[in-house]
Amino acid sequence: MAERKKMSVAEILAAARAEKAGGGAKPTPAEESAVSDSPEAAESPAAADSGAPKPAAPKPAGAKPAAKPAAGAAAGGRPSVKDILAMARKNQPAGEAAAVSAEKPAAAPKPAAPKPAAAAKPAASKPAAAKPFTSLDTASILASARAAAKPGPVSKSDASISPRPEKPRSAPEKKAAAAAPKMPMPKMPAKPQPAKKAAVEGEDRRGFLEIALGSFMAVGFTALSVTGGLFTLGLARFLFPNVLAEPPSRFKVGFKDGFPSGKVETKFVAQYGVWVVNSEVQGQQQIYALKTVCTHLGCTPNWLEAEQKFKCPCHGSGFYKDGVNFEGPAPRPLERYAIKVADDGQLEVDKSRTFQEELGQWADPSSFVTV
Amino acid sequence: MHSPELFLKDVSGFLGGYYAAIAIANAIAALILWQKKNQPGWALVWTVFAGVMMVLCGLALTGSPSLVPALPAAVRAAVNALSGPVIYTLGTTALLVILFVFRKFFVQPMVAWTILNVSLLAMGLSMADANFASIVMKPDNVPIVGLVFLLAFFTWVATKQAVVNDERIARGEPPMEKLDDEKVLVWPDLVYTELICMVAVSAFLLAWAILLQAPLEEPASSVKTPNPSKAPWYFLGLQEMLVYFDPWYAGVVLPSLVIFGLMAIPYLDYNKKGNGYYSIAERKFGYLTFQFGFLELWITLIILGTFLRGPNWNFFGPFEYWSPYKVEVLNNVDLPQMFWVNLLDRPLPRPPQGAGALTQVGYILLREAPGLLIMGAYLVLLPPLLAVTIFRGFFKKMGFIRYMVMMNLMLLMLTLPLKMILRWTVNLKYIISIPEFSLNF
Repeated sequence: MAERKKMSVAEILAAARAEKAGGGAKPTPAEESAVSDSPEAAESPAAADSGAPKPAAPKPAGAKPAAKPAAGAAAGGRPSVKDILAMARKNQPAGEAAAVSAEKPAAAPKPAAPKPAAAAKPAASKPAAAKPFTSLDTASILASARAAAKPGPVSKSDASISPRPEKPRSAPEKKAAAAAPKMPMPKMPAKPQPAKKAAVEGEDRRGFLEIALGSFMAVGFTALSVTGGLFTLGLARFLFPNVLAEPPSRFKVGFKDGFPSGKVETKFVAQYGVWVVNSEVQGQQQIYALKTVCTHLGCTPNWLEAEQKFKCPCHGSGFYKDGVNFEGPAPRPLERYAIKVADDGQLEVDKSRTFQEELGQWADPSSFVTV
Repeated sequence: MHSPELFLKDVSGFLGGYYAAIAIANAIAALILWQKKNQPGWALVWTVFAGVMMVLCGLALTGSPSLVPALPAAVRAAVNALSGPVIYTLGTTALLVILFVFRKFFVQPMVAWTILNVSLLAMGLSMADANFASIVMKPDNVPIVGLVFLLAFFTWVATKQAVVNDERIARGEPPMEKLDDEKVLVWPDLVYTELICMVAVSAFLLAWAILLQAPLEEPASSVKTPNPSKAPWYFLGLQEMLVYFDPWYAGVVLPSLVIFGLMAIPYLDYNKKGNGYYSIAERKFGYLTFQFGFLELWITLIILGTFLRGPNWNFFGPFEYWSPYKVEVLNNVDLPQMFWVNLLDRPLPRPPQGAGALTQVGYILLREAPGLLIMGAYLVLLPPLLAVTIFRGFFKKMGFIRYMVMMNLMLLMLTLPLKMILRWTVNLKYIISIPEFSLNF
């Protein structure tokens, strides 16, 4: 839009120049280039109009933006903020105008004053503020034209503090809000409306569950948590199996006379992991239960009847019949399980308790049964 | 175990192919030597050798016990009788030392080819022994046999390059690698090579997977350990270390030290030479340390664990039947026992009944005092002592921290061979033995 305007202004200027040339007036080349290069000066017809008589009455307000474009040309011909400030400092009335025009509420009434107008325009053309400012003007003009409520242009600040929220809702007002979407503040209260609509529409089959459970999200999460809870309970059920393949930690191995002196009973190894031995330990004939775990790295040693020793296949540790280590890397004797004579006279091994020789626990009477 | 006749029938086909392959390889070598290398003497030697191999191939294919070439029974018995952990370790050490000292001789291609032929022939002759074949041809162990030859080959190639470079450097010439630093393109030079390798290796693996059965065993049971129970081949060095140490040291500390020590090498190495080219003379310390750790303390232990450790982790000769009832006297005792009981003829210091925890710890420390003192001296006193004597130059160049790190890594690495020697010579089980806290060293 600005470009189109610019073109038309350029035409106007060309026409004006032609007129001046015809009239004998001499425009300076600097002024010429300034006018053609800077779009700000050409942006509004008002500026163009005031620019046309400029040569006749050279005012500082019009000349100052024209003097700068050599620097501003690279950036699209717009004077930078610095330039504007510098200019404003030099030229007090124009500076005041620029400062005032930066304040939005005051900007609207200014165009009435012809002199500072040229200075106010470049100030308003700061990249962030300039575009919304002009477009807002157009939009608000259109809106007000449709509403036939306000005659003059409405500035942004006017719109933001406009009495619209206070106004009763009316169809034209809504339309105006839709036509000017860049006014954020008054738009916000309109949002709850769709929800109200849905609530009104909600009296169908879908509404039943919502009434019952809140919303579809609630339905989903309720179903999920119920399923998860049941699943967890189902998993917990696995902790209590119907059949326990694991042998109990306490089990009976038979009567004493089933273990003759000097014998290492290996038939409980496969099921329980224990050797029941009847042997002489420190001058005392004992029956004890040895754990079938090598004290080096946990392999299961084998009982070698011919050599009368337990021998580990992993690293070659060897243990005597009483479980004491004597070869290979095993650092300590085999461990004993608790053993006792049960009420019925059978020997009962309790795997939940172990006795270690290096801790002096083999002296514990529960670690053996005397024969 | 089936009868020797049946065994030889089984193995004769393989042996025939084996000898034929050796014969073909030697014929090709002879041809190359004759035509390209202009060495008619060697060409003649290998032609004759190929002919002998063809004869052996024919004999092997007969499958008859009297004709299949094999080592004489007396030789096998002698080898079995001689072999043991001590002889094996000392023998491999001596072999590696000889190979290193006379490397200029061994890197000659014809010498290497001779050694390869002799070892292949020895393998073939040994393979006619049922016990040897049952170990070597186990699907588990076949790749290890191949890896031994591969490792020997690569070590030989590297040593050859290093010897050539050392000679050139001695003459004031740049090493070979500097002459041939022409740029090679990734595409097509490298990618083509990789593609061909990929196809070849895939074909090889496919054939292997079809020909050799997977070494699967019976279902695992917590109360039944296979006998012998062997780690994967690459961990057999570790398993062999575990024979001499407590699990926490041989299974945790030493492997971690291997990894951290290898990571530390770039920070400890102050020798700027030998960068980007093979050289032994320019970095003798680095080369020897690495090869000692790798070949001696890792590879030979893997070979020992794979081929020579049988049921109950007993040592078996290469032609010995793996009997689970072999009796070996391996009784060993801890250092406190040796010191207090055997040397001072006193009972081990034991805390009185019902003593407090501190008193017990005090008695344990007293009991382990000799071991603690020895280890303390080894790890604390030895590094400074070496710094002012043998490793004076190292200490000056490396500074205190780097020197101490290197020295401690080296001393901890040396604990393995030292412990092995102590176990063999004086039947020492542990230097420090605190089973109360599962702390043994």
